[in-house]
Amino acid sequence: MMIQGRTISPGKAEGEVLVINDAFSFLGGVDASTGELKVSPGGNIAGKVLVFPGGKGSTVGSFVMYDLKVHGKAPAAVINASAETIVTTGAVISSIPMVDHVDVALFKTGDIVKVDADQGIVDIEGVTVTDSVSSVILIDGRILMLRRPEGASSYPGRWSLCAGKIEEGEDPESAAAREIMEETGIEVGKPLGSIEPILVREKNRIWRVRPFIFRADGMVPSLNKENVAYRLCHPEDVMSCGKLVEGTPEAVKSLLELTR
Amino acid sequence: MELSKGEQAILNGESGEGPRKAMELIVALGKIYGAKGLVDITSAHLSGASYKTIGDGGLLYLEDMVAGGSKVKVPSTLNPIGMDRGRWGEMHISEDFAEKQLRIVELYGKMGVKTTCSCTPYLGENVPKFGDHVAWAESSALSMVNSMIGARTNREGGPGALAAAILGKTARYGYHLEENRRPTVIIDAKIGDSLFEHSLLGQAVGSRIGGGIPYFRGISPDMDQAKTMAGAMAASGAVAMFHVEGVTPEAGYQDVSGLDIITIGDDEIKEAREKLNTADEVQLIALGCPHLSEREMREIAGLLKGKEKKGDAEIWFCTSESVRARCPDEVRVMERFGPVLADTCMVVSPIEGAFKRTGTNSCKAGNYLPTLCSQKVMCRDIADLLRVIS
Repeated sequence: MMIQGRTISPGKAEGEVLVINDAFSFLGGVDASTGELKVSPGGNIAGKVLVFPGGKGSTVGSFVMYDLKVHGKAPAAVINASAETIVTTGAVISSIPMVDHVDVALFKTGDIVKVDADQGIVDIEGVTVTDSVSSVILIDGRILMLRRPEGASSYPGRWSLCAGKIEEGEDPESAAAREIMEETGIEVGKPLGSIEPILVREKNRIWRVRPFIFRADGMVPSLNKENVAYRLCHPEDVMSCGKLVEGTPEAVKSLLELTR
Repeated sequence: MELSKGEQAILNGESGEGPRKAMELIVALGKIYGAKGLVDITSAHLSGASYKTIGDGGLLYLEDMVAGGSKVKVPSTLNPIGMDRGRWGEMHISEDFAEKQLRIVELYGKMGVKTTCSCTPYLGENVPKFGDHVAWAESSALSMVNSMIGARTNREGGPGALAAAILGKTARYGYHLEENRRPTVIIDAKIGDSLFEHSLLGQAVGSRIGGGIPYFRGISPDMDQAKTMAGAMAASGAVAMFHVEGVTPEAGYQDVSGLDIITIGDDEIKEAREKLNTADEVQLIALGCPHLSEREMREIAGLLKGKEKKGDAEIWFCTSESVRARCPDEVRVMERFGPVLADTCMVVSPIEGAFKRTGTNSCKAGNYLPTLCSQKVMCRDIADLLRVIS
């Protein structure tokens, strides 16, 4: 899976990913002579592709990165969602390749990635992209939520919108209408709207999900075996419906904004 | 970002490795702040001078910069270091620290930086003019040149300012652009005329507004009052520029209609003071954050004249080498109480090895002493502090 980001510090590197979930300060966050991480998740950053949302803390952090480089304990590359001054400065002066404007939620610790920071490209090895659709179906002001069986291949047991893969040669809107017909028996017309695809990581797959919103007032769903239960939720209750497929709340929020 | 042919050539390494790395850094920083190009600068002021704050990583970085032949292209001055170069023996400094500290100063000198080691270079060693684009680090100094002089600088970090000095250019974004120098909030200040109250005003404003550009009404600060206020605002918040009605050069043509108004009076000043005070007695009193001006030296000497040193607390007076040299009579009076130190201050010196409780009249120091120096703090005005030792 190739991800296009933005060059911050040039260079190329390959290595194993170490994900830090929070904003990170090199000063206090890592031992400069050993590369041992002092914050969650622990481990050693030497030679790793360090993935975190962005930097924080003291400007001395830039020099800690230089110190790591001198000790041979620097990360092979840095990937951020949004670069700030301290880590940018540290990466450039230490010649550590760095890319930002990348969705850091797509990475898992242990992934093997190739970073081409000259082009701003990150390639996660062994991870494939599957195009899919996911639809909010509004029935009399409520959202149709479906529960997947425990044996489902993707997100078993979770609650989701009406979702499925796009078949080869199929356009996303037709795929959405087809999935809705298959899974609920409801025939929908034109969508009220749709938003740009969102990316969701599940094991070795990244779902590139195109979200749609349809109106189906007065309709009663009739489920096939892809789902085991349904619920009609008020929009504000979607979060408390149960354990959701990743990306659902964000998609619902953006789609509902389209209809206002 | 658009680079000229010459700038692109530097990025391609045609002027050597030092300028190439400097350009790489300026371009990367410009990119993250949305700069469309570069701008020529007339001066730089560099932070990252104390061994205490930059550590071995910073020292190694400077060694490599010098080995790579890096030289600054524009007049550049250096921030305070961890000790007085001539009198570190009186400051409880280890030989190892002193050796590394002196090496850092030497390395900056080799790159052509004037190693004045002051946080107030705008008072003599490095004075920008109205409208100059500059690349300054040191949060209080850069706020002073943006605001009181009307020169234009962003909040540079140490390596960023050094890279800009090497190129004679920095990225054009933020405070370099007219549209980003407009006030964002009005501050109606109802305070007294003392230096300390201006420091507390800065403290109260910085902690309330965080970033942004305050437009002050109701005060008329001189350079000393503005200096302590700027330092406090940059430490309690991230204020890099301010306007004062009738005082600062860019205040006159600002449209302030529709801006939120914050009033700072006795209650807010009292609250700011109480938050910073965590000690009732002190082992060290340190004055000069930012560095003492000539007028402050005269005032302090005036308060001490004819008095005797009392009590166990030490007192340090921190100023620049040039101000110290211009005040021989004052220095004689002050030296009966404690050393008049140049090059350094209590925030960037490793005082935590010798002291646990420090007195200051600076809210900037009041913010940093607990975190950078593990100190409990007594934050009062100069006359109150001097009564502890005289």
